[in-house]
Amino acid sequence: MKQVLILGFVLSILLVACAPSSSDQDTEPFVISAIPDQNPEKLQRRFELLADYLMEELDVQVEYIPVTNYAASVTAFRVGDLDMVWFGGLTGVQARLQVDDAQAILQRNIDEEFHSIFIANTDSGITPIEDINGLSQLKGHSFTFGSESSTSGRLMPQYYLSQAGVELSEINGEAGFSGSHNTTIELVEAGSYESGVLNEQVWLSHVESGEVDLNKVQGIWRTPGFYDYHWVIRPDVVERYGEDFIERVTQAFTQLDVNNPDHQEILDLFNAEKFIVTENGNYIEIETIGREIGKIK
Amino acid sequence: MQKTLGSISVGSVIEIPQRPSFFNRRLMWVIIFIGGLFWALLESGIFQNELINTGGITLGLEFLTASINPELSREFIQLTLKATLTTLAFAVSGLFLSIVFGFFGGVVASETWIKSYTIARNDQDLPIFVRGLWLVLRWILVLFRSVHEVIWALIFVAIIGLDPLSAILAISIPFSAIIAKVFSEIIDETNHEPLNALLNSGVSPTKAFLYGLLPLTFADMLAYGFYRFECAIRAAAVLGIVGVGGLGYQIFLSLQTLKFTEIWTLLFALFLLNGLADLWSSILRRRLGVESRCGGTCIDLEAIQTTRKGVDPSYQDRVVKFSIIFAAVLVPLSFWYINPDFGILISERTSQNMVSVGQSAFPPTFEVFSLGEWIDLSKITLSMSFLAVAFAGVIGLILSFPAANNFLLPGGIFASGREKNAPRLLATALLVLTRGLLLVLRSIPAPIWALILLYVLFPGVLPGALALGIYTLGVLGRLMAEVVENLDERPLLALKAQGAGMGGVFMYGALPPTYPRFISYLLYRWEEIIRATVIVGQVGAGGLGRSLTEQLSSFDNQAVLAILIVFIVITFIVDMISASARKTLRAA
Amino acid sequence: MVGPSGAGKSTLIRLLNGTLFPTSGEVRVLGQRLDKLSAGALRKVQSRIGTIYQQFHLIDNLQVVHNINAGHLAHWSFSRSLISLIRPMDIQTAFNALEQVGIPEKLYERTDRLSGGQQQRVAIARVLVQNPEAILADEPISNLDPGLSKEIMDLLLDLSYRSGKTLISSLHAIEFAKSHYERIIGLRKGRILFDSSTDFITESMINSLYQGRN
Repeated sequence: MKQVLILGFVLSILLVACAPSSSDQDTEPFVISAIPDQNPEKLQRRFELLADYLMEELDVQVEYIPVTNYAASVTAFRVGDLDMVWFGGLTGVQARLQVDDAQAILQRNIDEEFHSIFIANTDSGITPIEDINGLSQLKGHSFTFGSESSTSGRLMPQYYLSQAGVELSEINGEAGFSGSHNTTIELVEAGSYESGVLNEQVWLSHVESGEVDLNKVQGIWRTPGFYDYHWVIRPDVVERYGEDFIERVTQAFTQLDVNNPDHQEILDLFNAEKFIVTENGNYIEIETIGREIGKIK
Repeated sequence: MQKTLGSISVGSVIEIPQRPSFFNRRLMWVIIFIGGLFWALLESGIFQNELINTGGITLGLEFLTASINPELSREFIQLTLKATLTTLAFAVSGLFLSIVFGFFGGVVASETWIKSYTIARNDQDLPIFVRGLWLVLRWILVLFRSVHEVIWALIFVAIIGLDPLSAILAISIPFSAIIAKVFSEIIDETNHEPLNALLNSGVSPTKAFLYGLLPLTFADMLAYGFYRFECAIRAAAVLGIVGVGGLGYQIFLSLQTLKFTEIWTLLFALFLLNGLADLWSSILRRRLGVESRCGGTCIDLEAIQTTRKGVDPSYQDRVVKFSIIFAAVLVPLSFWYINPDFGILISERTSQNMVSVGQSAFPPTFEVFSLGEWIDLSKITLSMSFLAVAFAGVIGLILSFPAANNFLLPGGIFASGREKNAPRLLATALLVLTRGLLLVLRSIPAPIWALILLYVLFPGVLPGALALGIYTLGVLGRLMAEVVENLDERPLLALKAQGAGMGGVFMYGALPPTYPRFISYLLYRWEEIIRATVIVGQVGAGGLGRSLTEQLSSFDNQAVLAILIVFIVITFIVDMISASARKTLRAA
Repeated sequence: MVGPSGAGKSTLIRLLNGTLFPTSGEVRVLGQRLDKLSAGALRKVQSRIGTIYQQFHLIDNLQVVHNINAGHLAHWSFSRSLISLIRPMDIQTAFNALEQVGIPEKLYERTDRLSGGQQQRVAIARVLVQNPEAILADEPISNLDPGLSKEIMDLLLDLSYRSGKTLISSLHAIEFAKSHYERIIGLRKGRILFDSSTDFITESMINSLYQGRN
């Protein structure tokens, strides 16, 4: 018996020692990732295609690592496991505050003017409203956000609610955190929550594909525009890939052209017409609101 | 009757003894329990609000009916297989490390170890600092196990990054603490004469332990290690939800996109994995001659009374041999499959991160919430966990008897002994059905239960409590069934032989010897449930658990630490309450 | 009934109290064939037979009073049984029974805190409360030391005489069989070797029982 034990132990040590180590490669790959704001299968397809494109354009190894937790994606960016991440407005600010000299470099054309949409179950008696003050209708009804770190699913909606004079304590029960935009639609449609809020884009794509029953759930108010999704890059990539690396990345994105069939697929997956340059300064409002609400310390 | 006895009475002068006061300590606990239950129900709004959401029932039904039609396309089966392997591999490697750490931790944390030093040094009092160090170690173990794996995972991502090692360690840290606790209790309970004989003849404590004590405890430890296997699989599945991959992750994905048929394929894989692990460990325990009554996170001397049926555990047994060889192959394969980078642990980046994470958390800021808010949050957490415990306890009690193999089956206590084939089939079907149900309940991770329940219930404390309660029921029901199976059946047969009906035999024979253990398991799980309130935040009433994830996503580590401290304090209080309740139970 | 281990004494007792059924042949108890009865009718017959065991078979962590009251179970309704567990009922009967077996002061003691001899007395008290027509005793004294054995045997015999109940015991100790019983059945390998009044039992009959064993 003893021999068996010893044999097993030695075998395990050997196998562990011989397992291929990830640090074998000569140059470390350029690692991109994204916050898990929607259906990860979709994200996987979107970012793998993008990784292939970037690999060709930048001539470096590009790897996409999916992360399924908002906070984990920020943390992994901070410790340097992710070089460039497709963040939301809030997570982008959180990430930059934790990594000195990290830069917001790119966004889609739609991210300058991004919207959230409040939705309600039709049985709830909540009706579409004209302006922000109409949000006071939500008092006394149950309500859910998306993920707690989401800009369009939580931060800005909470800000607009407070602008409209609706305290979270005035809604029925506690505000829920469904975890994702998709789940928010599901739960409001099922009537578990009477109302909710999410990324307008996700809503529109659900409406378009017929995945949502408009007899059961309807959009009631579209928020004013705000800055949202953007790419944030770590400053130390220049040490690995050269001084002009960030410019080359920017170039690779801005040259994406809807009229080029190869590019079109990528842009479609991002629901974008084109990528445009952005800068840290665009997110000051988000940062202020983030501090007000307590998501940024 | 009265008359007969009266006529033959010997006319003694002894009077009927004073009836013990009706208001004893046990009754006090019953009142506390009922009061607590009432309070928790009140807190959950069960008396004021509508509970059932009829709007979501179609969705719920759709989910259920999809079970007969799981997705079986080749592609999806392959994906399921891969996910299953991932979950298995994380469970195995996490558990392996836990057993290694737990073993050393258990030796060092045992009373016996510290005592053997006093014997060896031949003085009665240990230096105060050694004693202090030892106490600190035991406290650290408590600390480690009161933080949920999901929180550990986030902490490790902040320290070592996205390497799979983060997930392995996230499983290992709380598991090591639990295993260390149980191992230390096994060591303390083992016969110490051989050890003392060696110590008294001048052998050093380490060698004396190695030769005089550890061989005696090996079977118990092995059995417990394998027992944890199923728990490790469940932990790996839950971790999957927060991003490690594997079955938990795939289930969560499919649930988000409402692909119910896919969910069921994945769930069946999870049932199978859990079922096999359960089967394996119970066969192994029987073969080892160890009937470990230790379950879940049992953290008490009384609960791990392992009784040997045979005199010597037979390591030569084929099943035992095969198990050890199989484990020896499975462990390296799992590490190879996951490929964690242990080098990270000694990298400069890791130590820097550790320092910065540590610094960012001090001092804890209790000011994030006012005292009133702290109390409200704690109330939600307590009421949710209490409802979950009560639910799991009551239903578990009912299910544990049909799930035990010594009750309804032919030859069982409630069988008349004259069954023809039909009742035998019925009884077997009932057994398989309840066991299967318990397996299903515990295999599905609590956050998934929470989301499913949200389809049919309105948000609040109730769906959270039910999600945790259902999951706990699966674990507890199995443990309780094991208690029932270990029951001495003869007193029950004696009641049956005098013509008592099923109800009477149950109340007078089956319940009294089993319920103290049921309750003590239940109290252990209570602590576990409090820990797990962290993972059911989507139900719209999270209490401390949700505040914790909120602060983690705000990167306010000082607040995170404050909440963790409150969590641990509550865990301690619950632990004290349950220790006191258990004491009453033993004495009553 | 006397005989070596494995002779079938306990099996016979189990056949008589309806916890075991014959694979062939038939058993009649109080005039009824047990294996032909419905579950309810069987329980009715069983309630008229009391059994005492070698290992007492009491519920350890219940108070004595509940163990004695368990003798009522065949007659008590479900709710009455339940309520009695919370607040013991019919104390007087239980007390009288306990008084007859000589330990009335132990009424509210926890059963596992009693000595072996006291526990067997509780088991006898339970049978008294059950008030059966016949008492079966399966090796009632094998677990007790000789002094206690005699006390328990005397007690059983005394109760049987005074209440007029039939007492059937299986015994290992031939001396007690001879000193306390009127009729002795010798069993060996599942068969009756002799069945005779105690007065006619001879040394050679006893020897033939244990032949081939040392």
